Amino acid sequence: MQSIVHVVLAGLSNGMFIWLVASGLTLIFGVLGVLNFAHGSFYMLGAYVSFSLVRALSPHFYLAMLFGPLVVCLAGWAVERWFLRAVYRLELPYQLLLTFAFVLIFDNLVKIVWGAGALHPPPGLGPLEGSVEILGRKFPIYSLFVIAVGPLVALALWALLERTWIGRIVRAAASDREMAAALGVRVPALFTGVFIFGTWLGAVGGALAVPYVGVLTPGMGESIIIEAFIVAVLGGLGSLKGAFLGALVIGVLNAFGTRFFPAFDMALIFLLMAAVLLVRPRGLFGVARS
Amino acid sequence: MARKRVSRRRFLELAGKGSILAAAASMFPRGVFAAPPSIKGPIKIGYGTVLSGTLAGYGEFHKMGALMAQDEINAKGGIAGQKVELEIRDATMKPDDAIKTARYFVDSWGADFLAGIDSSGQALALGPVMQQLDKVLIVTHAATEKLTEEWVFKKGVRQIFRICNATYHDGNAAAYVAKDLPAMRWATISPKYEYGFTCWKMFQDTLGKLKPGTTFQTESFAPAGTTDFRSHINTILDARPEGLYSTEWGGELITFVKQAAEAGLFEKVKHVLFPVGAAMDVLEGLGKEMPDDVWISGRYYFRYPDNQTNNEWVARFHKRWNHYPAYVSETAYSSLYALKAAVEKAGSKDTKPVIQALEGMELDTPAGRRLFRKEDHQAIYDVPWGKTKADPRYPIKIMGEQKLVPASITFARPPFEGPGTRPPF
Repeated sequence: MQSIVHVVLAGLSNGMFIWLVASGLTLIFGVLGVLNFAHGSFYMLGAYVSFSLVRALSPHFYLAMLFGPLVVCLAGWAVERWFLRAVYRLELPYQLLLTFAFVLIFDNLVKIVWGAGALHPPPGLGPLEGSVEILGRKFPIYSLFVIAVGPLVALALWALLERTWIGRIVRAAASDREMAAALGVRVPALFTGVFIFGTWLGAVGGALAVPYVGVLTPGMGESIIIEAFIVAVLGGLGSLKGAFLGALVIGVLNAFGTRFFPAFDMALIFLLMAAVLLVRPRGLFGVARS
Repeated sequence: MARKRVSRRRFLELAGKGSILAAAASMFPRGVFAAPPSIKGPIKIGYGTVLSGTLAGYGEFHKMGALMAQDEINAKGGIAGQKVELEIRDATMKPDDAIKTARYFVDSWGADFLAGIDSSGQALALGPVMQQLDKVLIVTHAATEKLTEEWVFKKGVRQIFRICNATYHDGNAAAYVAKDLPAMRWATISPKYEYGFTCWKMFQDTLGKLKPGTTFQTESFAPAGTTDFRSHINTILDARPEGLYSTEWGGELITFVKQAAEAGLFEKVKHVLFPVGAAMDVLEGLGKEMPDDVWISGRYYFRYPDNQTNNEWVARFHKRWNHYPAYVSETAYSSLYALKAAVEKAGSKDTKPVIQALEGMELDTPAGRRLFRKEDHQAIYDVPWGKTKADPRYPIKIMGEQKLVPASITFARPPFEGPGTRPPF
């Protein structure tokens, strides 16, 4: 029992990072129709920038966590405004090529600025240090915080999209951009805004990961983008509800795999994805796109 | 009938060149260091190591040692009177990158010798490549015993030498340390690739023979690049072993130790062995976060041997780089000196005579006296194990209580098959 609880907790905290990245990914796809392969880079940039700010602003940990992702939003703005906008009308392979180029560019940018090696954040970042005893075994307080943040972000996103005026406009532009434009919505500006917001979500994931992962490397965005893609596809591309559920499932499944099926822990999530796609090709909550 | 004639102009030209050469030669030390006619300079050494990713910290330490050897050797007249030229490149951890780097060094850059290489997979992939390129490679970090047993000894790839100790130290010697600890049930969290598997197997085989009744019930292997060890740590905590053996290394060991401390692993499991925990990037990366009373070792430890050669080297190293030398700094440094000794002994930088010179060669290095075993080209020398403790003189944890398990009783012996070739002897 103790073991199961801890495996689930470890899986949930891991799943929350995947959720934060996948939420931005799926939001951008749902509204802009772009599969942004560089989304993992925003996660990486969020981590690196926040890490530097944590050092500079120490001991104001939360200020750094707040400002770090905002700085990364500038990168998101530049990518959308100056590059992506040119390929909206082109086919998917062109978008993938462009965004993949940005993965390489950002990886190398990080190598130039922060070095090719690993950075290890020092202990005692922020007030959430230490562990609590859960069923006789220690569990880091910070991980509990992460587990709490994930659902809060999900709730806030839902409220924003379903219950506000801006949410209605976003949904309108997502379902029919010509019609929305005809009704006076400034679609290009709206797309830029949504892309920046998605960037921010990924960067927040990266910022929160700084004390959690304990190591920053220039390739850290690439491993999480794969998981985020799986989650987004599993939940149905464009569906936030699906991404949230998918992230929880993948996180927990990963933890169970490592614990109970070590021989093929990495194969488990791909098997699950294959199974879901066979039964529901559009993913759990995917809707048909015209 | 045509006769070869030396014209007056040609004669003067040759005489002029000769006097320049003579003047140049007089600038270098004579005697044993004077360049025999067959050696043309410079001596080019291509050094491949990991300079990117989670393990890049290792590469930086390789660099410090190799650069120091280059500068010291050149300041004292070079190798056999010829200047050493060193190029250091990122060979990453991937086998294909290591091969690409080796080919670049030999085919494009014109290297005379190669050194470096961090991963076992890379070293094994380089076996046939080095035979084809026909240049000497001195491996300074990759530890798989299969490199020297299979490629060098059985398949006759004589171009490869290993100056660092091998998995024998990480597996067999660890078992000699473990046999004296009051722990009968052992578990592991180790890398999910060749190096992790082979060390754990060696540890089990040797400890099982040294101390019958020891059990090894739990193993959790983490793939390369793991940043979250929490599920692995849970696996170990569930099994409640008395001893934990882990060949995690570099940045991943740092992450693992931090997360294990958070989960209280070091309070629950009293006897912990980190065969490569004495790596400087780990000691520096963890600082005071490295728990006390953990057994650590490596391929060299900067406070051993406590003699003039080593202590002076450590002092020079610390003065230049403001770090204490990592084990890869020592192996990188000594690899250049091994090549120097071999070239000067052979009177040539050609592959065949240099191989002959290296085989069976004994060399005094900061790590102590090394012997390159003739049969498998493995360097034989001793590295201590020690229990971590804090010391006010150092910003890092150092070895307190030390234990020396000699290489002579833990390294497998040629022909590597049949009775009496694997410890315990």
